[in-house]
Amino acid sequence: MSSTDSVIPILLFILLVVGLISAGLAVRHRLAFRVGFRNVRRSRSRTILLILGLLVATTIISGSLIVGDTINELDLHYTLLGAGYNDEILSNVTPTGSLAPFPYAVYTQVVASTTGDHDIAGIAPEIVSTVQVWDRSTGVPQPNLHLIGVNGNQSQQLGAFVTDGGQSLAGAAPGKVLVDDLAASELNASAGDSLLLYGVSAIPVPAVVQAVVQDNVRGAFPTGGVGNFGSIFTDLATAQKVENFTGQINLLSVTNVGSQQGGVALSDSVSATLNSTLVKIPSAAGVTVQETLKDGLATAQSAGSSISTLFLVLGLFSVVAGAMLIIGIFVLLAEERKGEMGMLRAIGLPRRELIYSYYFEGLAYSAGSALAGSFVGVGVGYGLTYAFSILFPEPGLSQRAILDSFTVLPQTLLIAYVIGFLLTLVTVVVASRRSSRLNIVRAIRDLPEPPPPIRVYTYLAYLGLLAFVLGTLLFLATHSGSSDISEPVIGGALMILGAALVASRFVPNRVAFSAAGLGFVVWAGLEPLHTALLGTSHTGGIFIVFVEGIIMVGGALFLFAFNSASLVAGLLRLANGRSGRAPVARVALSYPGRRPARTTITLAIFALVVFTLVAIATFGGTIQANLNNTVAEQSGGYTFFGFSSAPIPDLAGQIERNASLASQFSVVVPLYLGGGNINVSGFSMNPFGDTVFAAPTGQNASSDFYTTNHFPFGSTLGGISASAAMHELETNGSVAVVDQTYAAATTNLGGGGPTAPHPSVHVGEAIRITNPLTGNTTSVTVIGILLEGTVSGVWLNPVTAMSLGFRQETAFFLTTAAGATDTHAAQLAKAAFFRYGLVLYDFRALLAQSIAGTEGAVGLLQIFVGLGLAVGIAALGVVAVRAVVERKREIGMIRANGFTRRMVLQAFFLEYTFVSLLGIGIGTALGILIVFNLSSSPGAAAAGVATFSVPWWNLLLILVVAYGLAMAAVAEPSLRAANLPPAEAVRPTE
Amino acid sequence: MTEVVVSGKDVWKVFGSGETEVSALRGVDIEITRKEMLAIMGPSGCGKTTFLNCFSGLDEATRGEIRLEGVDLTSMNDDAKSRYRALRTGFVFQSYNLLPVLSAVENVEMPLLIAGVKGREARERSTKILGELGLAERVNHRPSELSGGEQQRVSLARALVGHPAIVWADEPTGNLDEEGSRDVTRLLRELNRQYGQTMVVVTHDESVAATCDRTLRMRDGKFVS
Repeated sequence: MSSTDSVIPILLFILLVVGLISAGLAVRHRLAFRVGFRNVRRSRSRTILLILGLLVATTIISGSLIVGDTINELDLHYTLLGAGYNDEILSNVTPTGSLAPFPYAVYTQVVASTTGDHDIAGIAPEIVSTVQVWDRSTGVPQPNLHLIGVNGNQSQQLGAFVTDGGQSLAGAAPGKVLVDDLAASELNASAGDSLLLYGVSAIPVPAVVQAVVQDNVRGAFPTGGVGNFGSIFTDLATAQKVENFTGQINLLSVTNVGSQQGGVALSDSVSATLNSTLVKIPSAAGVTVQETLKDGLATAQSAGSSISTLFLVLGLFSVVAGAMLIIGIFVLLAEERKGEMGMLRAIGLPRRELIYSYYFEGLAYSAGSALAGSFVGVGVGYGLTYAFSILFPEPGLSQRAILDSFTVLPQTLLIAYVIGFLLTLVTVVVASRRSSRLNIVRAIRDLPEPPPPIRVYTYLAYLGLLAFVLGTLLFLATHSGSSDISEPVIGGALMILGAALVASRFVPNRVAFSAAGLGFVVWAGLEPLHTALLGTSHTGGIFIVFVEGIIMVGGALFLFAFNSASLVAGLLRLANGRSGRAPVARVALSYPGRRPARTTITLAIFALVVFTLVAIATFGGTIQANLNNTVAEQSGGYTFFGFSSAPIPDLAGQIERNASLASQFSVVVPLYLGGGNINVSGFSMNPFGDTVFAAPTGQNASSDFYTTNHFPFGSTLGGISASAAMHELETNGSVAVVDQTYAAATTNLGGGGPTAPHPSVHVGEAIRITNPLTGNTTSVTVIGILLEGTVSGVWLNPVTAMSLGFRQETAFFLTTAAGATDTHAAQLAKAAFFRYGLVLYDFRALLAQSIAGTEGAVGLLQIFVGLGLAVGIAALGVVAVRAVVERKREIGMIRANGFTRRMVLQAFFLEYTFVSLLGIGIGTALGILIVFNLSSSPGAAAAGVATFSVPWWNLLLILVVAYGLAMAAVAEPSLRAANLPPAEAVRPTE
Repeated sequence: MTEVVVSGKDVWKVFGSGETEVSALRGVDIEITRKEMLAIMGPSGCGKTTFLNCFSGLDEATRGEIRLEGVDLTSMNDDAKSRYRALRTGFVFQSYNLLPVLSAVENVEMPLLIAGVKGREARERSTKILGELGLAERVNHRPSELSGGEQQRVSLARALVGHPAIVWADEPTGNLDEEGSRDVTRLLRELNRQYGQTMVVVTHDESVAATCDRTLRMRDGKFVS
């Protein structure tokens, strides 16, 4: 049972309890029930407007969960595709990740021991490796294809291959290969092509393409999905020949009984059986069991949950904005029905009955809007999935596969419905209590509310004291250590709020809460303050963005709410200077100042949504700017970094002498490459070994590493320059340079898996290097730590490296010549040096892919968060519609006093321009600020984010769209106000 | 002996504080007897409506003692006042304040339902009184489907249907034309005689006051005659 499924009974129980309580209340308070439900039917158009306003929260929840389900399904698709029917795999994985061979007899012994096990459908002996393949028919090389050698008659349980023509094949015939679609595309291969396969032995093995097979469940094994160049399938004997594994295999594939996913349930028991079998086979030493499919499915589930969480947290701003809209709508409803409610109170209806009538009305809206929101969320989910499919240019991840993975689970809809319903209902209950507070006399006589008196509430001071104490305790408990940073930040905010509430008992509210507003903005918005008070050891996820965002926006709103009169007065003084505009400005700006609570709610909605949009856009801009910097740092100014499986003697000379290659490259730098063990203070830095580089000296100018590289240093001994450090490395045999990963406290052991702790290396530190092959060892002093970490390893003086036995030129930096294209140059080089197994990594292509991926992610998140704009627009629309009704007589009066229609229209537009632009301004400023904080935090520096960049054009677009939509929302009510006949407007009506 | 239903001693109502302080009632003393129909008149801003609001329990007096049927109004909390209003008082206002989502009969039965009268009985009594007020054909009409005079008659029916001890009417004819005004005034008088309720009518209209048993005039928060 998944965690999602386990939540459903709880949610259903809560729903049942709410239903029973509501039914009980309806029976006991029939009058309130009748009034509440009649009000729902009062105006169809208003009910639709209300439901549209209320459904946003559920839509966001539903859309987020559906995106998560779809990502789950997509991952599941590729997991199942990649794992096929291989439920468990038995192999001996070396520290470098390759599979060590073991005797074929292990297979026969495992089969003999497990025969009769009803959970195992079959076991296949295989060879799985990476090979270089050259299609001699097309002339296209591919140095990185998967080779799977398995006999068809031993792997029937894994399913059949299906050719592109639809024919089923059990496996490749002897001496032939099946090529999957992806590999065929890479090689430009088709049936009948002649291939040369290069494995460990480097002796080419010829083979003919028997058929091109589909990337289906069988054809995609072992690694379907992203980053896969494709696979070729041979019989076992051919694979043994390619890899020189005579009488050996390197993998046993075990298939459980049942369907592809159904067999996973048996994985634990099958693994136990296999483990107990392996211990009895001496020749199987080192062979372990991996529950491939089960682990893959768990990872897929986790990835979907992470995506759901990301969308949900970013959607929280819109959910909060939606909740504020609900309160706003109910406050407006209450004002509209003030007379009726006052009369009901006058004839004896207790206040609680009014609350119940709102409750029942809200219950109907909540139920309806949650239902509608759940299904609108399906549309949003599909839209996001579609956007995802076109925004992420990952190779191997087809648009069709993404769209086919679009998943809507009934339980997801149920969860979204129940959460959305309860969230809306709780907000409605809060709003109902607020709305039912009315002065009977003023309500009946439709008298304006008097200005709020200066309130001094002792209980608020006690509440403030409690908040201050709780905040202090939370802050003290979490300010040091490694807890989530949002905890002390919340603690600090509670302290500020508590202090303001206590202070409001003694000083004017304006002073207390303006100070609190400023305090919120400074506390959540000033990164150096966090670093100084909280240190740098805290963890923090995306939730901190939500916490700081809410605190900062709340602070800005406090500042506005308690200073709106001064702000408006200031603006009016400005307007008075332009006599023609003064009357319009006075009418337009007096309303927001007169209704600070309503204006603050509208402002809050706009500020929250724009804050999220701007934060995401600025975050994307910053990441892109840093990607540019990062790749410049990582590449050292070169175009390619290359490896070869065999040393290439005088690569630069060979290229220079090759007529077609000579014009393609301007710089060719050979490097000595080897595997060593680095020891710092008796501590082995990497249990799997370290990479040692050295650049030979005496090269000509275009091959001299020391003068052609532009690798920047993070730190150098004595602060010497990069060129001085490189010169030292070239000439001094007792020094070394390391990449930035050695300055960290852990080493990633690959595959996104575990990390190994080690001491951080500092400049001036002595490290010991050993070549495990020769046993030679030496001690060198680190004189510099590079900023790059892509070409990870230790750089030695070439003489030192050679003395240790590192003298094979199997790594290279290359730069393309002016006029040459990177792709073409790489293809020519790979083809020319294919027999050495030359593989080239294009730094610029990596950059382009990263930028495209970032743009895709930012675009997708912006689309999602942009949905929140609907809340802002609905809020402004509701306020504007209400304003026309509420101010009908005022409009009549100003028209009677000489206002033209145009002036009324201008006044309405100016009023909403003021509110929307203020909200947009607050959101924009704080959105930029929070990303500035993130980019200047110690964590960002450690992650290589050094540059803060604001995408101004993107922000301008957000501003224009937000403002434009806001004006579109108020256009109709504003026109209606302008077109009110003065005689009708001044007449009192019921 | 004539029974006093409403009494007030030295009743003050002060709005605002400091420089903005305004005393709308300045030590009002009054006694209103059962079955009496009393008119309160006076210029705008003299405190008529404030008097009605404070003495009916819609608003709080700042100080002084108000008793309704011998019960000290200031000793009641909000729920008790609501209950008292539901059982013992009726209201008629210038703006009829009918619930637009309810029909005429549903509006009228509202106070009965609030007072706990069973649904069937409430409906019968409401239909009956609407018939007595000449609205037998309009019982299922919504307020928007009624004229101003008809709406005020529904409002009257709502005020009287529970046979309250006291009916408070604040400018009941203020929104009506001459004919409607006459009609409502006549009805008030007839109903007062028929049901024997105490009626307190705040009005500017001398013709309305002329139908009442007694007229009190207010000026600057005090009764002057």
